[in-house]
Amino acid sequence: MNRSTARSQGQLGSLIVSAMFVLAGAVTLYDTLSYTDRDSRVFPQTVAIILIVCASISFIMRFIKPTGEGGFGQGIWWRRVLLISTMVLTCLVMPIVGFLPAGIIAFAGGLIAAMHDRWTLPNILIYWGAGGIIMLVFYTLFKFVLNVPLP
Amino acid sequence: MELDQFLAAITPLNFALALFGVLAGTIVGSIPGLTATMALAVLVPVTFAMEPASALILLGAIYTGAIYGGAYAAILLNTPGTPSAIATTFDGYPMAKRGDGDLAVALACFASVFGGMVGALALLFLAPPLSKVALAFGPIEYFWLSVFGLSLIASLSNGNLMKGLAGGAFGMLLSTVGVAEVSADIRLTFGSQTLIGGFGVVGALIGLYCIPVLIDLVAVPGRHLKVEENVKAVRIGDAFRLALQSKFNLVRSSVIGTLIGILPGAGGSVAGLVAYSEAKRTAKPHQKFGEGEAGGIMATESANSATVGGGFIPTLVLGIPGTPPDAIVLGALLVQGVRTGPAMFTQSGSIVYTFIYGLLIATILMLPTGLLIGRYAYKSIVTIPKAVLVPTVGFMTIIGTFSIRNSVSDVIIMLCLGVFGWVVAQFGFAASPIVLGLILGPIAEQGFVQGWIIGDATNNLFGMFFGRPISQGILAFTLITLILPIFLARKKSKLNVELES
Repeated sequence: MNRSTARSQGQLGSLIVSAMFVLAGAVTLYDTLSYTDRDSRVFPQTVAIILIVCASISFIMRFIKPTGEGGFGQGIWWRRVLLISTMVLTCLVMPIVGFLPAGIIAFAGGLIAAMHDRWTLPNILIYWGAGGIIMLVFYTLFKFVLNVPLP
Repeated sequence: MELDQFLAAITPLNFALALFGVLAGTIVGSIPGLTATMALAVLVPVTFAMEPASALILLGAIYTGAIYGGAYAAILLNTPGTPSAIATTFDGYPMAKRGDGDLAVALACFASVFGGMVGALALLFLAPPLSKVALAFGPIEYFWLSVFGLSLIASLSNGNLMKGLAGGAFGMLLSTVGVAEVSADIRLTFGSQTLIGGFGVVGALIGLYCIPVLIDLVAVPGRHLKVEENVKAVRIGDAFRLALQSKFNLVRSSVIGTLIGILPGAGGSVAGLVAYSEAKRTAKPHQKFGEGEAGGIMATESANSATVGGGFIPTLVLGIPGTPPDAIVLGALLVQGVRTGPAMFTQSGSIVYTFIYGLLIATILMLPTGLLIGRYAYKSIVTIPKAVLVPTVGFMTIIGTFSIRNSVSDVIIMLCLGVFGWVVAQFGFAASPIVLGLILGPIAEQGFVQGWIIGDATNNLFGMFFGRPISQGILAFTLITLILPIFLARKKSKLNVELES
């Protein structure tokens, strides 16, 4: 990524996040109109106004004085996406297949995403073996010692 | 009489229970998602068959250990193991990243032991008079206390106050999602059943602190933390020297922790944040808080550990539990047939004093056990390959978040907050102000609304918010915290200009 792309990405991203916060404040103010009790309204309304004011100032300042700060920087995107998507997939299939099989998906996703070395047979055996033991230990601790009703 | 109780506290059984409690508590506290409350709730039935004093010693030791254990994950993974360790991440993780994780772990241990001792000694000698502090704090004082905690945003904003304030306000809005505590209106759920329960603090903490670290870790090769050639044991000598240099910080933070522990509902997270804020406010020019400053870790850890003893003061003297773990201990006391109240120290003195001595012994035992566990925790985290560390931590975030309310939705919310936190952090909106808003929002709202109702009913809104002496004191500290850095910066730049000219 060249410097000017990073600069414009940082500028645009910062403006979008500020605008998003302003929008969140506006949505909150709209939502408070439906509350029946004044006591429920007063705090979120006050905070929403503070949010709108601060995010607007941040937006305007960034617009008037653009800087190159911010941006997604370096890093391999497919690894980030793989990590998060397997964790989300785990949540979705957990009620169907159970906690441990779903947990294996998250663990496998995380392992593949974080593996920057070359895959060798000893690596595969050690890492997957360690993963299996760790998952079993935590599953046993939570399910049978702490009595957490894992699906 | 008190010598008898001391001797009763150090019987082999009670000593073993204290040691087991500290060990178990430290391990539980170090796992993100497992809280002191959960550990105590699981073990309470075990204590029913024990002698009352032994049962209390075990529960107190678990609580003490769990509060300290939260520091490991905060320092080594940027994830507070318990909410009390939020402020430990501010300097602990930067220290670990620059290769001083072993020192940070040792500092946290020394500070926790010191803070725990101050809290326990206050419980031993000053419980009845100090319990009056809890009664002196009304809703407005709680409101101003949370505002004081929020003033820390100014220093967590990475040089952009508006972004920090926006993040803090957004965090407070997140805290209002779900059923309103004061009047039971359903807020900001947009028809979703999932959001009615609101955002769980522990899940949000895990998401906002831990998931961004994992996203960054997988994207680039290389080690998680910087490591010296030979991984050392925990640096006890260096930590002790730094602790001695920071003795005033330790004493002040421990006193703050004890006093905030006395306030029902405030707890270790607020104590840690307030002590950190005070340590930063009074820092010397060369101290760089937020960039791996030892004083930041010591302030937070001594304060949150001091809340253990402090929290037992209103629990035992007034029967008002300050935090959920205190409530569990109170329940265990009632099951044992011990009645709390001002007369408890005379009527059930043998049990109470044995318990307090047991708590002191457990706190002292935290030093060897904490340093030993810290040594292995540090070595494991720095030597474990990233390909195993990332999925293990990822798996722990899922199981830990699920276990809080047994809800898959909480895990999804945690992941969404994590990705959101990572994205906004790339553009200068740090996660810490959001977390601060989320933690302090409910305390601020409850105090604000209750104060507003009372002030409105008595036709004295201004007097209600600004006329009470404790409120004025907290407000003055808040203003000093906010204004002093600006004043000093201007003075410094003026001086520089004069020197240059």
